[in-house]
Amino acid sequence: MAKVTLKNIAKIYDNGFQAVKNINLEILDKEFMVLVGPSGCGKTTTLRMIAGLEKITLGESYIGETLVNDVEPKNRNIAMVFQNYALYPHMTVYDNLAFGLKIKKTPKDEIKERIERTAKILGIEPLLKNRPKQLSGGQRQRVALGRAIVRKPGVFLMDEPLSNLDAKLRVQMRAELIKLHNELQTTFIYVTHDQTEAMTMGSRICVMHDGVIQQVAEPKTIYNHPANIFVASFIGSPQMNFLQGRLSEKQGKIFATIEGLELELNEEASGKVKEKNYAGKEVMVGIRPEDVYLVNDNEGIQSKAEVSELLGCNLHIYFKINEKQYTLSTSPKVEVGFNERIFVSFDRDKLHLFDKETEETIL
Amino acid sequence: MDQVIIRKEKAEDVESNAKVSKWKINIKKRKLLVYTLIYAFLGLLLLLSVIPFWIVLINSTRDGFAISTQGLTIRPGRSLAENYRILTTNANIIPAFFNSLKISTLVTILSGYFSALTAYGFHVYKFKGKNFLFGVILLFMMVPSQMAFLGYVQWMTRLGLMDTHTALIIPSVAAIGTVFFLRAYISSSLSRDLIESARIDGAGELHIFHRIALPLMGPGVATMSIFAFIGSWNNYLSARIILSSKSQETLPMVIASLRAMRIWHQNQGAIYLGFAISIVPIVVVFIFASKYLIENISAGAIKG
Repeated sequence: MAKVTLKNIAKIYDNGFQAVKNINLEILDKEFMVLVGPSGCGKTTTLRMIAGLEKITLGESYIGETLVNDVEPKNRNIAMVFQNYALYPHMTVYDNLAFGLKIKKTPKDEIKERIERTAKILGIEPLLKNRPKQLSGGQRQRVALGRAIVRKPGVFLMDEPLSNLDAKLRVQMRAELIKLHNELQTTFIYVTHDQTEAMTMGSRICVMHDGVIQQVAEPKTIYNHPANIFVASFIGSPQMNFLQGRLSEKQGKIFATIEGLELELNEEASGKVKEKNYAGKEVMVGIRPEDVYLVNDNEGIQSKAEVSELLGCNLHIYFKINEKQYTLSTSPKVEVGFNERIFVSFDRDKLHLFDKETEETIL
Repeated sequence: MDQVIIRKEKAEDVESNAKVSKWKINIKKRKLLVYTLIYAFLGLLLLLSVIPFWIVLINSTRDGFAISTQGLTIRPGRSLAENYRILTTNANIIPAFFNSLKISTLVTILSGYFSALTAYGFHVYKFKGKNFLFGVILLFMMVPSQMAFLGYVQWMTRLGLMDTHTALIIPSVAAIGTVFFLRAYISSSLSRDLIESARIDGAGELHIFHRIALPLMGPGVATMSIFAFIGSWNNYLSARIILSSKSQETLPMVIASLRAMRIWHQNQGAIYLGFAISIVPIVVVFIFASKYLIENISAGAIKG
């Protein structure tokens, strides 16, 4: 069992800076949990506290059923992959992999066997006699992973392991890590600032901001039902559009008026709005670029296209309403000229409504 | 029409090719000049540093009469064996050589190891008063060691270590300059992630120091070892103060006493031989450690 439980965890540095504030998180056995957030949000600090490299100021941390607050890193049954790989430069790949096992006094034959098996999984067999200096970034990354795998830990901790790789290799390693997780059937805790990595790899995602957990959920839920404006804006590329809106009730139906465009909300949303008593109030409306449509003249909000980016599979158009820039994503077949007048409308089923004060979701 | 244009283009190509090759020749000429000057200057420096060694080596093979009457020469003489006999019968040079070798080797190893350990501690651990302690180290670095001689002698007398080699070895272990240098070195050669990675791998603190930190600090330690060895090998002052019996004497003491002997004028060759012998270990150390020294000087030039 390698469940990781954080109870009311906080980290306050000597200079008074509070990097992590009262975190409660349960990471299930064999789960791929991704901690994601902008730099300085406390995700790495949280990971380092789980690893035991950073002292926990307040709260309790459990690995399995054991309280590990004062347990040395080496006794926590964990392995960690660092952003810059942290391979021992004066040792060969083989010795790098064997380092931890030798300390544990594992018999030589077993070390050899385990290393060979790990090298096979990662495809680094021909590199075993090389030194880290002679390897490429991707190969070093594999060795760093190998060093973690070979020890058969209960929990894998990864601190932005892909951020030093080039874009193409990153995509490739992403897929391999998912495969690896399936093969090893072990708990993975993965820290990244890249929302694409979070969305593609995590069985669950924990979004953090300013040392506080914003939302913990499956990628799909995070994307479709973000808990607040921060999560909504952080997850998804291009970013979600936010517009001022007003909710109103007419003959039992709820309408959202956005920049003069009136949209009737679906039943589920209407019910929530009525229940929480938001009818007649100003709200923040969020809409993802792919849920913004180009419509015929005078059927939507008038706007001007500013820039269009063709990505191959789709086209991003940046447009302005009342001097504020928004994005829409559409089919590449659409042709829109620079400064051309366009009309846009929104998918009424995909509207996200947020309280203007608390920035929490209404739906 | 097309052909005319092509021909014209070709003509232009030829012209520009000619320009390029002229330019290349110019660059070559300039390079030749610059390199000639550089090598001439380096040659001069080489000569300046080799001549004294040469004089010592040649003169140690000549007799005193030849040296004082014939002046400098580049031809070796035939009196090496005779000089050696005179030297060993008049001075304690061989036992002194081994005394010096013993002291210098131990000082080098111990100061290298413990300085690395101290620098590692300063770099890796956070503890109260760390900056204050390092400040004190810096302060001591600025005080000439001769200032502390009175206390040093008093202390060694109390410990009963006067006239022993231990009294020369132990204080040298605390090499402030080496600690200072290695702390700077370690911060560029050893990343914190590496230490943390080893901790997670299950290594104890001393194990990490010995297996991870020390090998990576190797070039830095080697560089400082050269200086430690030379410093200890040439150490005359504290040896003179601490040691009193003939059997304990170190090489610099014996070399210094040669000058006071009556054999000085007739047997300059023997004295030169003494000098030559005293240079040998330093040359050997340099040959072995120069690789590290050069590596260290160029370290950081290319990011690994």
